[in-house]
Amino acid sequence: MSEQYEPKIVAFLCKWCSSAGSDLAGVSRIQYPANATPITVPCTGAISPMYILSAFNKGADGVLVSGCHIGDCHYIEGNYLARRKMHLTMELLKFIGVEPDRFRMSWVSAAEGAKFAQVVTDFVNDLQPLGPQDKLKKAVST
Amino acid sequence: MINIQDIRDTARDMLAKGEVRAVIGYRRGSRGMLAEPAFITSPEQADELVWDPTCFHNLSLYLVEDRKFLAHLKKNSDAPIAVVAKGCDARSIVVLLQEHYFKREDVYIIGVSCEGSGVVDERKLAPLLNGFQASNAVFAGDDFVFTTAQGEKRLPAREVMADRCLECRIPFPKEHNVVFGEDKTGRELAAPFAALTRFEAQGAGERWNFWSHHFDRCIRCFACRSVCPMCYCDECVVDSITFPVTPATTAEEKANRIRWIERSATRSENITYLMTRAMHLAGRCTDCGECERACPVNVPIRLLNNKMEREAREKFGFEPGASIGGPSLVASFLDSDPGDFIR
Amino acid sequence: MTKKRTGVFVCHCGTNIAATVDVAKVAHEMAGEDTVAFTQEYVYMCSEPGQESVVQAIKDNKLDSVVVTCCSPNLHEKTFRDNAQRAGINNFTCEIANIREQCSWVHKDKNKGTEKAIKISRSVVRRVNRNKPMEAIAVPVTRRAMVIGGGIAGIQAALDIANAGVEVILVEKQATIGGRMLQLSETFPTLDCSQCVLSPKMVEVKRHPKVKLMTYSEVQEVTGSVGNFQVKVHKKPTFVDPDKCKICDDCTVVCPVVVPNEYELNLTSRRAIYIPYAQSIPASYTLDEEACLGLNPIVCGKCKDVCEADAINYDMLPETVTEDVGAIVVATGFDLYDQENMPELGGGKIEDVLDGLQFERLCSASGATQGHILRPSDHKEPKNVVFIQCVGSRDPAKHCAYCSKICCMYTAKHAQLYKHHVPDGRAYVFYIDIRSGGKGYEEFVQRTMEDNDTLYLRGRVSRLYRHNGKVRVLGTDTLSGQNVEIDADMVVLALAMVPSKGTTEIAQVLKIGRDKDGFLAEAHPKLKPVESVTAGIYLAGAAQAPKDIPETVAQAGAAAAKVIALLSQATLSRSPLIAKVRPSHCTGCGMCVDACPFIAIRLENGKAVVNEALCEGCGSCSATCLRAAIDVKNVTQLQIHEMIEACLAV
Repeated sequence: MSEQYEPKIVAFLCKWCSSAGSDLAGVSRIQYPANATPITVPCTGAISPMYILSAFNKGADGVLVSGCHIGDCHYIEGNYLARRKMHLTMELLKFIGVEPDRFRMSWVSAAEGAKFAQVVTDFVNDLQPLGPQDKLKKAVST
Repeated sequence: MINIQDIRDTARDMLAKGEVRAVIGYRRGSRGMLAEPAFITSPEQADELVWDPTCFHNLSLYLVEDRKFLAHLKKNSDAPIAVVAKGCDARSIVVLLQEHYFKREDVYIIGVSCEGSGVVDERKLAPLLNGFQASNAVFAGDDFVFTTAQGEKRLPAREVMADRCLECRIPFPKEHNVVFGEDKTGRELAAPFAALTRFEAQGAGERWNFWSHHFDRCIRCFACRSVCPMCYCDECVVDSITFPVTPATTAEEKANRIRWIERSATRSENITYLMTRAMHLAGRCTDCGECERACPVNVPIRLLNNKMEREAREKFGFEPGASIGGPSLVASFLDSDPGDFIR
Repeated sequence: MTKKRTGVFVCHCGTNIAATVDVAKVAHEMAGEDTVAFTQEYVYMCSEPGQESVVQAIKDNKLDSVVVTCCSPNLHEKTFRDNAQRAGINNFTCEIANIREQCSWVHKDKNKGTEKAIKISRSVVRRVNRNKPMEAIAVPVTRRAMVIGGGIAGIQAALDIANAGVEVILVEKQATIGGRMLQLSETFPTLDCSQCVLSPKMVEVKRHPKVKLMTYSEVQEVTGSVGNFQVKVHKKPTFVDPDKCKICDDCTVVCPVVVPNEYELNLTSRRAIYIPYAQSIPASYTLDEEACLGLNPIVCGKCKDVCEADAINYDMLPETVTEDVGAIVVATGFDLYDQENMPELGGGKIEDVLDGLQFERLCSASGATQGHILRPSDHKEPKNVVFIQCVGSRDPAKHCAYCSKICCMYTAKHAQLYKHHVPDGRAYVFYIDIRSGGKGYEEFVQRTMEDNDTLYLRGRVSRLYRHNGKVRVLGTDTLSGQNVEIDADMVVLALAMVPSKGTTEIAQVLKIGRDKDGFLAEAHPKLKPVESVTAGIYLAGAAQAPKDIPETVAQAGAAAAKVIALLSQATLSRSPLIAKVRPSHCTGCGMCVDACPFIAIRLENGKAVVNEALCEGCGSCSATCLRAAIDVKNVTQLQIHEMIEACLAV
């Protein structure tokens, strides 16, 4: 049996918007692929670029960062700071030749359950043709 | 043209009057023509100071070292320390000031303008000297003149100048206490970020091939980190062996170090180290080029830092080392920051 | 560090989780974790027996930390943290792994769902491993409130708060309180006089011993947090002492400066010294500094000369006062969408094309025409009036995407008022559809159509222009499919409601969010409709969204109730999950200081210091620090690092 390649995604979700948005996707029973494992953080502003690099280093095929829309941040400015940091992180990843589709950032509000499901679905679809991420992945000796 | 005697006089005078503890400058080194960092502490030594195209070190590093040494001795600075600084070096000092590493009054900046020229890249120079070692180098307008056993050799400066100097946009130390040489900001030797632009014209696959080749060779000697004035942290987040243990360090703190990456110098770990370093230098690196010069295996580290510098400049209007009072790149934002990449 | 003894409690949630996640496997996998000393599954962990079993298991197995893998932490985090506390361990050592909303409900494939549930659970187990016991932070409360905006929302909120015995400061930007409601003539659906119902409340505010009224004042700066805000209020000088002013009107008679009267929406003019309305509170004149010839007896000084009460003082200075309050209600109201944005409707340049508020002033007995509907261009009674609904509303492509909610009703009211004033006149209403949800609203609209003989035309107006002394209205009637051309004596536009000018600035000052349309954002669309995203700051009235007077009054009352509840506590408990500095690693670079949205970090002796009263625990500092020298407690970088590992473990 040939199994479809299943990309592994780490999804950093802000507690107030995107984690709540993914809850809404659940409440609405909107189905989406199970590839993204969520880590809830207080705010996208709390996401260090180190988290992104580390996730790739630990073998993530894709990393998703999702938080409140601009202007909606529970902490007023956190997502503005995140936007700048994540832009730099993404540009650096692209610069060394990592496929742009491996990193994704999205604004998903607490009311956008359907959007959350779509974001994950699209991300998985875009990652599938890329195959496993082995550029930054730590080689494990077993 | 800078007359070195003026710098020497300034240094001698300040030391004689006790206005500064020491003058960090350049002197003729023991290795051929190359200048080396000098720590002048008495007026008599002032005549050792030189200024020539081999003064490539970013001496602001030693301001950091001085600070650490004082901290080690548990001493406070009793007088400022003077330092010779080119445009890029002075911007490094501004970043250090911005980050409160020391106070403005702790440092006396002896600015030197590159006057439309720059410093040599040894790697470019070596093949052009016909196997001879130079014993001296001087600025001569658009040329550099090197003294070798064969006599004087005049080379167009542009042919042997470091890339970062060719691409330099502000070859003048705006922040200074005293400055020597003419401000020739705006001189065009090569387009800013020229090397970066050439590199980025390639496809992702080629870029990856290029980088993976270099990342494989990195031996994680941390020379880039050691030579960088911005890498002043006692503990590097990606290298837990530098963990500072003080009497106040608890056992729990020792146990709770984050191992973001492994110590083995393998590709994935080298990448994570160098990318983290580039991220940490974003908005702080002033392109003094010392990391790349110090690298024993020729990893083009400058390109990574340049990439961040250009993003900061073009997307966020941010210029590292432009002002002491301003916020740092990643601790600030503008409403106009790009957000198109966010879905 | 001794090894943790974590208990993992896997909930089936009936079949909600168990149908698509192999709960036994999750429990089994968690049992294999180094720090897990106990696992249990149960059909409904949140049921009484389920909760009891958690408490019992903690006691029996000497557990020091708990992970409940169940529904979203928004639902039962508090439940299980309380249970942890009941069992004698710290509530902050209990965390929830959400395997329902974020897993079982959204993935049908049981293998994949189970695998993800294991990853989620494992990452939370790793997190809990490094959780520290915490105590909620108790903060004393300042038992005073501030209401910003003196319209009906602000007045109602201030009165409700004051009637509970809490001192309240009502800050109004303009020279009188009353806001938009004071400009209205009659109100739907009862057609009672707006000023008649509002002015008693205004007087009550003025006289209430617990209300401190600050008109002609603006909030400049807000620091602090819930329970303890410090608000700087800038009070502009009116140059008239309200205690001395006898409102005799002598000053306006002599004042030589004439400027458009903004309180009458520029339909009339006023002098540089003026009183907005007869019912103004405070009942005093205001000298408009910008219009005045110079506040100088040598230049003019006529008003001062004529004032027998000696109430005018040219040397009055602006004042800035700082008020300590525990809670704030924001009721800054609305403006109408700018006509300039619709050149096809004249862009505000065609005389006799009015906005709804101008029409209110024409109808109002206290307005420019003493309640006679006369058209501005020639002061004749208009015999043909076209009312256009949804101007700027419900037009996502060009204008505002939202429905302004009250326009259907006030247009119906306008048509009725017009017909009452001009019984032989003809009223037309262009509408897209009629939204008349509300007590007595639908009946009111029907009355407009039937009893008041108003012609409702379903369609949009494409153009307005001057034609033979009239305003030509080009539109379509989509029901008959025909183009309509009306030469109207007057046109009234029901312009979209937009947040009042200055809403952006006040939102920034208060550090509260705005929604996509610029209205102040509520914390939760359903469950926290009057709370802003910032604790201790509440919203009332049209600043939050378009709404009518009854809704505004209800929301103001709700906001007041929230304020009263908040301020009835002696201390507040705040989440202890705030930033903590590792001084050994801090170099004092100050990046966290710059990044902190709450100004909660400062440098002291070269190290970052967190002000625990201000820190909200967002973690922006932590992500910005280059040396991981600052962390949010119980969400540390070390914890996230181990969670990432857990998420990616095969």
